[in-house]
Amino acid sequence: MKHILLACSAGMSTSLLVSKMKEVAEEKGIDVKIWAVAQDKVTKDIEQADVLLIGPQMRFLKKKLAKLADEVNVHLDVIDPTAYGRIDGEAVLNRALELMEEAN
Amino acid sequence: MNKFMEMLENVLLPIADKLNNNRYLTALRDGFMVALPLIIFGSIFVVIANLPFLDRVISEDAFAAYQSALGPASAATLSIMGMFVIIGIGYKLTEHYENEAIYGGVVALTAFLILTPQVLEGLTGVIPTVSLGAQGMFLGIFTAFIAAELYNFFVRTDWTIKMPAGVPQAVSRSFSALIPITLTLSVFLIIRIIFSYTGFDTVQNFIYTIIQQPLTQLGSGLPATIVAVLLIQVFWFFGLHGQIIVNSVFDPIWYTLNEQNLSAFQAGTELPNIVTKQFIDSFIVGMGGSGMTLAVIILIFIIGRSRQMKELGKLGAPAGIFNVNEPIIFGLPIIMNPLIIIPWLLAPVVVTIITYFAMATGLVPPPAGVIVPWTTPVVLNGFLATGNAWQGGLLQAVNLVVVMMIWWPFLKIMDKSYYEKEKAAKKS
Repeated sequence: MKHILLACSAGMSTSLLVSKMKEVAEEKGIDVKIWAVAQDKVTKDIEQADVLLIGPQMRFLKKKLAKLADEVNVHLDVIDPTAYGRIDGEAVLNRALELMEEAN
Repeated sequence: MNKFMEMLENVLLPIADKLNNNRYLTALRDGFMVALPLIIFGSIFVVIANLPFLDRVISEDAFAAYQSALGPASAATLSIMGMFVIIGIGYKLTEHYENEAIYGGVVALTAFLILTPQVLEGLTGVIPTVSLGAQGMFLGIFTAFIAAELYNFFVRTDWTIKMPAGVPQAVSRSFSALIPITLTLSVFLIIRIIFSYTGFDTVQNFIYTIIQQPLTQLGSGLPATIVAVLLIQVFWFFGLHGQIIVNSVFDPIWYTLNEQNLSAFQAGTELPNIVTKQFIDSFIVGMGGSGMTLAVIILIFIIGRSRQMKELGKLGAPAGIFNVNEPIIFGLPIIMNPLIIIPWLLAPVVVTIITYFAMATGLVPPPAGVIVPWTTPVVLNGFLATGNAWQGGLLQAVNLVVVMMIWWPFLKIMDKSYYEKEKAAKKS
């Protein structure tokens, strides 16, 4: 099972996206766990994740989180703003899967 | 235009990065986060204690008894919130250094208590709660920073008491926190003693007069508030979370002003400030999120003809009611959209000015000092923030209409261009 972690300021807007991503994953029969947290909880939750996606409005965290992600071997990316605005679960899920593929 | 925007983004991104990743500002923000659930608990009971019309339904004595029964809820939380912020800062900063965080928290608190005057109108053996609330806020923050830094410094230097061989390891380990704590607190005791020989008498008094009062006075004014509001909007325009970034600088000031209003509200005296934490959170951000985007959503439902707009309205409305507006910000889109920049910057400033003067003239009571969770929907939000005053809710409704009027022409143009594009796409 793959673990996808999303983070934004309070974990509110990313949780919107999480429910959309879960729907898509279920439809396609992809076995994933997806959840959203507030930025200050990332340090704790990152260890359970394979991919960390951060909301575009928090992209200034990328530098700090990249270091952390490197240490625990988690792939990190900023969510595409357009997909974020449309709450496009499919696009974001695909991107997350892509990130994991790239590594393998 | 694109070049210029790129240039601005290149300036803003590092600023956001610096502000959000600075370890002191991070600890400060997290410190307030620690206090937040307690503050909201206290706020709930302030709201319940001041239910509208209750004083007219039950007798004066019964009402007084009712209020004093609920009093401890806010007295133990809201009124002494500085204390929780201090513990939070000390804890988080020590956690950052990967030392035992709980010691960092208590060292910060104790250092602050050492600096606090322990006398009230001649009565000794007391700690005035006002020093643990608004009045001590700035001293508390500085003390927490310095105490945690000192504590972690002394832990790093690793001065331990050498025990002779044969003493169990647990014994020598029990001293490991002792030396850093003793040294850190001694520093603060010395500071206190030195200040007692100055004209300021206490460090509290010194920080209050030299730093806190001038800063809060500046921050409570309309010009500084407009600057803060504009900064939030500009950051968001570039798709950066403006609220988080600006809060990390303004929160100490806004919370202090908030506290001052709360104590006045509870004492039944005139509220000293208009701009407070809740002024920003309810009247500026609490209208659908930064940029008052709930007005935009309503406007979409009224004038939207293009499919794209209508879809966006449906997508953004449920979250927008609870002040989560990323779908609108990234979906309309607001970010980097030159057509939107005028209403985006103008509307919040106009609303700030209207709200400020509505309160300054007494039409609407100023925020009472309760903290309303930021996800509380508009109108209810304004009602609670002003201490259960219907005028607060009404003002938000008026402001919503003002924002809609400012946005109208711009949204109309956008909608029209989308509509035409959709029509053209259908034909071909």
